[in-house]
Amino acid sequence: MGVDVGGTFTDLVAISSERVVTAKVPSTPGRASGVMQAFAASGLSPDEISAFAHGTTVATNALLERRGARAALVTTEGFRDLIEIGRQNRASLYDLTVQRPPPLVPRQLRFVVNERCGPHGVVTPLDPQSLLECVEEVSAAGPESVAVCLLFGYLYPEHEKYVAEALRKALPRTRVVCSHQVLPEFREYERFSTTVAEAYLGPPLSGYLNELAGQAEAGGISAPLVMQSSGGVMPIEAAGTRAAACVLSGPAGGVVGAARVAAESGYSDVLSFDMGGTSTDVAAIVGGQARTTTEGVIGGIPIKLPMVDVHTIGAGGGSILWSDGGALRVGPHSAGAVPGPACYGRGGTEPAVTDCNLLLGYLQDEAVFGGEISLDAERSEEALENLGSTLGLSAEQTAVGGALVAEAEMARALRVISVERGLDPRGFALLAFGGAGPLHACALAEELGMTVVLVPRACGVLSALGLALGDLRRDVVAPFLQDADTVDSAAMQSAFDGLQGRVGDYLQEPRFRREADLRYAGQSYELTVECDDVAGTVERFHAAHRSRYGYAVSERPVEFVNLRLTATEPVQIALPSEPPAESSGGSVRRIYVDGDWRQVEVTGIGNLDPGAVRTGPALIELGESTCLVRSGWSAKLDDIGTLVLTRQRPDA
Amino acid sequence: MLDPIGLSVLQGALAGVAEEMGAVLIRASYSSNIKERRDCSAALFDASGRLIAQAEHIPVHLGAMPESVAAVMVRQAEAGDVFILNDPYRGGTHLPDITLVSPVGLSDGRILGYAVTRAHHSDVGGMTPGSMPSGSRELYQEGIVIPPVRIMERGRQVDDVLELILANVRTPEIRAGDLRAQMAANQVGVTRLMELAGRYGTEGLPSAIDDVLDYAETGARRVIADLPDGSYRAIEYMEGDGVVDEDIPIVVRVVVDGDKLTVDFDGSASAVAGNVNCPLAVTRSACYFALRVLMSSDVPRNSGAYRPLTVKAPEGSIVNARRPSAVVAGNVETSQRIADAVLLALGEATELPAQGQGTMNNLVIGGPGWTYYETIGGGQGASAHAPGESGVHVGMSNTLNTPIEALELEMPLRVESQQLRYGSGGAGRMRGGDGIERTVRVLEAARLSLLSDRRSHAPQGEDGGDPGSPGRNLVNGRPVPAKVDMELNQGDMVTVLTPGGGGYGTA
Repeated sequence: MGVDVGGTFTDLVAISSERVVTAKVPSTPGRASGVMQAFAASGLSPDEISAFAHGTTVATNALLERRGARAALVTTEGFRDLIEIGRQNRASLYDLTVQRPPPLVPRQLRFVVNERCGPHGVVTPLDPQSLLECVEEVSAAGPESVAVCLLFGYLYPEHEKYVAEALRKALPRTRVVCSHQVLPEFREYERFSTTVAEAYLGPPLSGYLNELAGQAEAGGISAPLVMQSSGGVMPIEAAGTRAAACVLSGPAGGVVGAARVAAESGYSDVLSFDMGGTSTDVAAIVGGQARTTTEGVIGGIPIKLPMVDVHTIGAGGGSILWSDGGALRVGPHSAGAVPGPACYGRGGTEPAVTDCNLLLGYLQDEAVFGGEISLDAERSEEALENLGSTLGLSAEQTAVGGALVAEAEMARALRVISVERGLDPRGFALLAFGGAGPLHACALAEELGMTVVLVPRACGVLSALGLALGDLRRDVVAPFLQDADTVDSAAMQSAFDGLQGRVGDYLQEPRFRREADLRYAGQSYELTVECDDVAGTVERFHAAHRSRYGYAVSERPVEFVNLRLTATEPVQIALPSEPPAESSGGSVRRIYVDGDWRQVEVTGIGNLDPGAVRTGPALIELGESTCLVRSGWSAKLDDIGTLVLTRQRPDA
Repeated sequence: MLDPIGLSVLQGALAGVAEEMGAVLIRASYSSNIKERRDCSAALFDASGRLIAQAEHIPVHLGAMPESVAAVMVRQAEAGDVFILNDPYRGGTHLPDITLVSPVGLSDGRILGYAVTRAHHSDVGGMTPGSMPSGSRELYQEGIVIPPVRIMERGRQVDDVLELILANVRTPEIRAGDLRAQMAANQVGVTRLMELAGRYGTEGLPSAIDDVLDYAETGARRVIADLPDGSYRAIEYMEGDGVVDEDIPIVVRVVVDGDKLTVDFDGSASAVAGNVNCPLAVTRSACYFALRVLMSSDVPRNSGAYRPLTVKAPEGSIVNARRPSAVVAGNVETSQRIADAVLLALGEATELPAQGQGTMNNLVIGGPGWTYYETIGGGQGASAHAPGESGVHVGMSNTLNTPIEALELEMPLRVESQQLRYGSGGAGRMRGGDGIERTVRVLEAARLSLLSDRRSHAPQGEDGGDPGSPGRNLVNGRPVPAKVDMELNQGDMVTVLTPGGGGYGTA
């Protein structure tokens, strides 16, 4: 069973060999009770649940809204403000009044000790007197947690250990985290920032998870596994000390679900496209694996832990259309759920993308959304007409334009995660989910030269599905600064052995993936590639560099920077096959396609038999979402209930 | 004529190409100055040399590349060529900024446009490591001068040119890597512009681009028309030129006339013996920056937005220098002061924030085989609604700092402190941001070049707010001038205290 607590809804998916059970209830943000409400709504009994995985936005929201713990920082003397200065770049080049997001620890909670390590070892020994004073100051401030972040602590952790020990002795109930444990990698700002995030997010996330575990136990369900940003799950006890690894817990479930569902349909190279109300998340899946990055920045805070490489843009179904005097623009302002698009009839008068889709017939007038909102096409038309009149456009033209402009934005987002990462989208399938994703998928695929679109039946609850299917996972990293020419294979082996020892005991029979970060000598960006023998690893680095940046320099010396070990233990669940159709009935609706109004067939997905084909233009309704099959495309329902759309006459 | 929908889509597509070029350049480059500090930008131009989209990572590159394209257009550029240049008097700004221009040509020989990247190479030879000498008196001391020449001819690399350049720099391998990254980024721009031509047609694309430029112009004119008509004056000073320690006036008169803006530098000092002179391209960038501050981010960054602006700079003055005036600090320091002066004058016409630190605090330390170049953030000026930010780059720069753990691994340096100068921001209803204290110790003998300003003239407050504290430079605790070149012994410590921003309103 997977339960995903989103901003608006809490989704539940439970899978057995025979059936898939889903449930959806309104979210109660930050409260564990929402999970149990979803469970109650599912009609499942506790003894049917063998495992329970959970995706949470608690850490994400605590970070974005700055509602984390009262955390303190202990750092090297002379560097107290390092986390405030950051990389010294301002937030906006030309708007001189924009502020950077504030640091997670304010000045008065930042303390220093007199010590210094350098690249070759201790430069200034830790001064016991300054440590004593520092511990006293920290005690007096009474923080909930302390981050210990010393320069070169990733190479020489002794000082950090010593400081942490002194703090734990003086403050036995205070959580103390060290940078060499959270992220043993060089580049002080990013390491400090990640460690401080751990101290800041640990207490609220642990509090929430403990509450959830208690309620689950009371309800007869085992304690939950928690989704990490990397796309794998871990036990609740591990999550309590790895809070910074959970900041993308929510979106990660969606990408894992997308990867798994696509794989079941036979597609392993996929761009996932999750279009919601206020934002759209896109990610690349290569060889069945979600691509991860260690360069994530959430709420202005760099978190250098592996996370699914999700690119988010502020355009969704609720994005508002507006005119800047000459051009039609869409977003980034969103109508949200209240007042919502004009068609919600909740007081919104500005047209949103959803209004465009309603006016053009893609959504059913008077359809009921989320159990309570009834769509009203007249209001959409009025709002679009008002805006259009300022631009010399009809309501219909404005609606077509709104969809086009929004799609152009989303196509750019898809290019960022494909083309800019050295991936050619034409070899990928586009997997669309989220409320509005399946409506725009064909148009985006055409824009990017893609010929396959996948729309899973569970597209409204894909994140929860991903949770249920997520592997157990642990990522560990160690610095390994060596020239590739002279690398010591024994040292590498023992470094990997050391990493294996840090994996922890929650994985019984893990599969290990060894990777290394490499760069050309003199570069300061690394690329992560699979690491077996040295020669093969270097070869892969050259190839990765060529694919990502367009060139490789085989004669140039290569350096190892970090070694990474990923331990995973897959869950063995097969998706049950698609049941036969309930009926073959359908209806017709007038929609705007190919520059004109046409009558098209509308079919509920439950009324399609596996193998049945619909030729575009057509609409297929999937509960919370609608799929627009454009002209030139045909849609076929496969054995696991995924609509596979293929383009019949792709452009040359 | 593009409709309001087409405008939005094409403008987004063009901006997307420039951004993708910039992303490739940053990721593929070798040197930390480009990769970590993002001292670079990428742009697209149309066949007549007009800027159609730009991804600038620092404002001093804003709109400063039309001269580069113009200099290449007279050289019979063809498809498959890539031109390289850095000559400040033929399309460049200062020698470390190397610009690569790739014509985008159709099979029938017609030129569709140009893909351009500019990157600050932290070594182009010259009298000091880092190629940022504070005491240069003519251009030739500042490094190798590259006029617009082909480094790639019809798809084949011109090795002779590359070898000639690399023979004149201290770190040839890194330069070669960075140039390769620029070529890769240019190639992305060429490919994408061709794709757009495939979509819009080779006739349709130029006409659609005309519409996008006109659209930006309309947006800019609307902003200027909102300012009260009038003539607004301001004087600012550079603190010495690295040769003599005297104030150098920059005089500006900004005239708002309906939807037109004229910035006239008549009365500014003549070009000086030292290196704080600016070629006209740099002066223009600083004026564009000031205009950009007035505009919302919705106005596209293309040449249309700058049509309503006229810049008048007397030839031979510090803001429009002639060969062979030295210029290396014009780009990094005088540009700041020009922007300050223009914004100070515009502040009479509209509400603007107090002044920020107004300098980039260029710190260069070098020895045999290594060069460390850093610019250091300071205080931002406060505005009516918010305090100034502390420890950030202001004005014409926005480069990142180098991680301490990276630079100590690579160079014989130790950073002794990197912290805020509490209280250096000016008091006021809103406080100015605080400057930074950065102390670096050299672990072997080395040469120091410091190029800084605002050491005596403090960043001004606004609406009754106090000025920020001026900056200070120290070597082993003893003050040294704003601009200085000197030898350092093993163990010497260089401390740079950067200025705080001005406050806003009476406290």
